[in-house]
Amino acid sequence: MLLYLPIAELSVNMFIIFGMGGAVGFISGLFGVGGGFLLTPLLIFSGIPPVVAVATVTTQIVASSSSAALSYWRRQLIDMKLAGVLMISGVVGSALGVEVFNVLRRLGQLDLIVSLSYVTFLGLVGGLMLAESVRAIINARRGRPALLRRPGQHTWVHGLPFKMRFKRSRLYVSVIPIGVLGAGIGFLGALLGIGGGFIMVPALIYLLRVPTNMVVGTSLVQILGTMAVATVLHAVGSQSVDVILGILLMVGGVIGAQFGARIGQNMRGDQLRALLALLVLAVAVRFLAGLVTVPTDPYSLAAVGGG
Amino acid sequence: MRIAAFAAAAVIVAAPLATARAENLTIAVSTPEVQISSEFTGTGVTIFGVIGTGHGLPAPGSAYGIAALVLGPPQDAVVRRKDNVLGVWINDASETFVRAPAFYALDSSVQRDALAKPATLERLGLGFDNIAFTYANRAAVNDPAAAEFRAAYIRLKQKAGLFSQQTAVDFIGDNIFRTTTWLPANTPVGRYTVLVYLFSNQALIAHAEDSITVSKAGVEQAIPTFAHSQALIYGLICAALAMSIGWLGGVIFRRD
Repeated sequence: MLLYLPIAELSVNMFIIFGMGGAVGFISGLFGVGGGFLLTPLLIFSGIPPVVAVATVTTQIVASSSSAALSYWRRQLIDMKLAGVLMISGVVGSALGVEVFNVLRRLGQLDLIVSLSYVTFLGLVGGLMLAESVRAIINARRGRPALLRRPGQHTWVHGLPFKMRFKRSRLYVSVIPIGVLGAGIGFLGALLGIGGGFIMVPALIYLLRVPTNMVVGTSLVQILGTMAVATVLHAVGSQSVDVILGILLMVGGVIGAQFGARIGQNMRGDQLRALLALLVLAVAVRFLAGLVTVPTDPYSLAAVGGG
Repeated sequence: MRIAAFAAAAVIVAAPLATARAENLTIAVSTPEVQISSEFTGTGVTIFGVIGTGHGLPAPGSAYGIAALVLGPPQDAVVRRKDNVLGVWINDASETFVRAPAFYALDSSVQRDALAKPATLERLGLGFDNIAFTYANRAAVNDPAAAEFRAAYIRLKQKAGLFSQQTAVDFIGDNIFRTTTWLPANTPVGRYTVLVYLFSNQALIAHAEDSITVSKAGVEQAIPTFAHSQALIYGLICAALAMSIGWLGGVIFRRD
């Protein structure tokens, strides 16, 4: 069934978009990630203008992260103070991200920067995750215990000034790395249409030594807040949030996430991480291919002033 | 009433051109108002034309040729070209078109060279080669770079189904003809101009003009209008909607 998207100004097959939201929701439930890094590229590759894809996926991330955050909230696995600091810096970052997004759009270089950033960040994060999970799998096979450093251990990060106490996470750290992390992920989120959970979670664990049980819930609240603000900023800045497309993705995503989460509970963590790493790398490779292969048509046409 | 009014207009406009001839041209558009609704997948618009000679038969010695042109609303557009820079394909050179037709569909009854002299076709903008483009950064129309981007513009528009030229005008009687233009799902909104030219023995003897208005219907109109005029409220609604859907999902599928 074809459905006309009023902001994207094109007709799409309703079930394909709904299915895409469902499939990405399934993956996000399975791995405990937002899935924006998959959904935005999928939409772009299926012909939705990148501007609309990035701006609309922010709404889908808000929906999926609030759905997931709710269950962490019930189990009291959220450090609201840490999430609050991350969120404030995240909003600053995403405001900057939306600004850069609009400048790049005017210059006609948005697609390029989005592609380059996807290749860089997904390649880097996917590579690191794959290496880490493969090591963990090998260790588990040989019967060796996982080499995880315990929380409470210190790194250079803990030597920075402006320390702040986070009771729930049993942390006493400088706000500088937290602010930088929040702002950086907010910036990338707004620019690339990703939640950034797949960067945030490892950063909180390895860099700040936040207890693992607090990490996901806290990261979800930060993503929820930052992306909600990014949605509003995109709506004001480029008027490219397509509410119809968003609803299709949200409903599909929320349903898909439930099934993914159920299956994910029966899989081992290191195997899940290895699979996710491969998925992340596959998206990076797809973007890289798009950048370096000879385009089928080097010319492209765009309306001036956004129609 | 409507047809009569157009006929009158056509006669007035055609009068100086057709001093020695009796023909006049009357046209009618099947769907003057096209509404884009959520299930819009494109629509055909038929233009009917009657060549008036006063006695219902072709004038002696005449060989009629018809050219029907449907021109979409003018829009500013930019064509960009990707070039390989350090192994990566990036948007490099570009050309901005000022008020270029967003839609162009030409239908004629015979091949264009049989229709009229090249100078006439050029003056009337009949055929892709004769579209008068204006460039934002270039004055010279014969500039090879302009020609390159102009060709790309036309090709990309053809690929999108928004530019076409064919010879399919159908004479259903000696003096009555019709032509159908397909407005695809991605057809731009706005006012389309319908121009029909009547030629005889390669000379323009009459012409008529009408219009088609393409607009979004109901919700399809309301959403973008609201998103532009009340951007902040629209954004807040989208964010609130997303949170409610997420919350609802979390409540319905509660697992713990």
